[in-house]
Amino acid sequence: MARRKLERDPQAELVAYSDQEPSAFASMLGGLIEANIRSNPAKLEDFDRLVARVGIFVTDIEEGVTLDFKGGRLVVHNGLEATRTITIRAEAETVMSLSNLRIGPLGMPIYFDEVGRGVALKLLKGRLKIDGLIPNVMTVNAVTRVFSVT
Amino acid sequence: MMPVKAFSEEWASAFKDEVNRSSTYKSAAKGWKWTVGLVVEAEPDKHFPESRGVVMDLFDGEARDIKVGPAADAQKCDFVITAPYSRWKEVATKQLDATKGMLQGKLKLKGDLPTIVRYTKASQEMTECTTRVPVAWPDEN
Repeated sequence: MARRKLERDPQAELVAYSDQEPSAFASMLGGLIEANIRSNPAKLEDFDRLVARVGIFVTDIEEGVTLDFKGGRLVVHNGLEATRTITIRAEAETVMSLSNLRIGPLGMPIYFDEVGRGVALKLLKGRLKIDGLIPNVMTVNAVTRVFSVT
Repeated sequence: MMPVKAFSEEWASAFKDEVNRSSTYKSAAKGWKWTVGLVVEAEPDKHFPESRGVVMDLFDGEARDIKVGPAADAQKCDFVITAPYSRWKEVATKQLDATKGMLQGKLKLKGDLPTIVRYTKASQEMTECTTRVPVAWPDEN
């Protein structure tokens, strides 16, 4: 992750879509992240530092998006693009529960409450797969913070 | 319970009772304080000739009121979910999961996304409540 401080126009575009017609899933994730970072300065700081290409594939609707975080800007692509840092594969319900993970001290996701235990169990059972997790744990945590609505 | 006409006042009343009977909804929707509108778009070929709006006054785990009226009333709510009649029928008959439907764009959502995502469990239970109301579907008569 590159670290840099940005001076930014509050109206500046934070999220863009690479496709002329973003899929509903792409619009929803892009919209969710934009609302999160605009309403929470701590999430905006994470967003400004985050450089990673994150794939999210929803297995039960067979739809994916690529979130290309470019340190203060996000480009959302329909489908899974090549050369991703991490790729999350899970059912729709699990993807939604990822955004309900609470963030605890030191910015770590909490895995011991009801939502956290559910997510951890799915990870253990292979119903939530994160390709590239081990070498990119800090990136996964930063993405979780940006994605989290709590 | 006798089946009620789809998206009628009787349906709204039965739906409200189901929501208020649900302890799952009551706890999952604690803190919810926004109105929700469902726009059911007309499909004349399915014997649903005019769009209707379902206006739900939901507060802190309780359905205070659920009314059926013009689509324009539902469009004024804080959160608006829009879909054609047959899609809503798929949701109410468990052929379409509402979360998946929203991610696929089959149900169109307008409103603050972080808030609705925070209450995913409540909205799933609300969908469950619709499936428990026996309905007489106009395209099945």
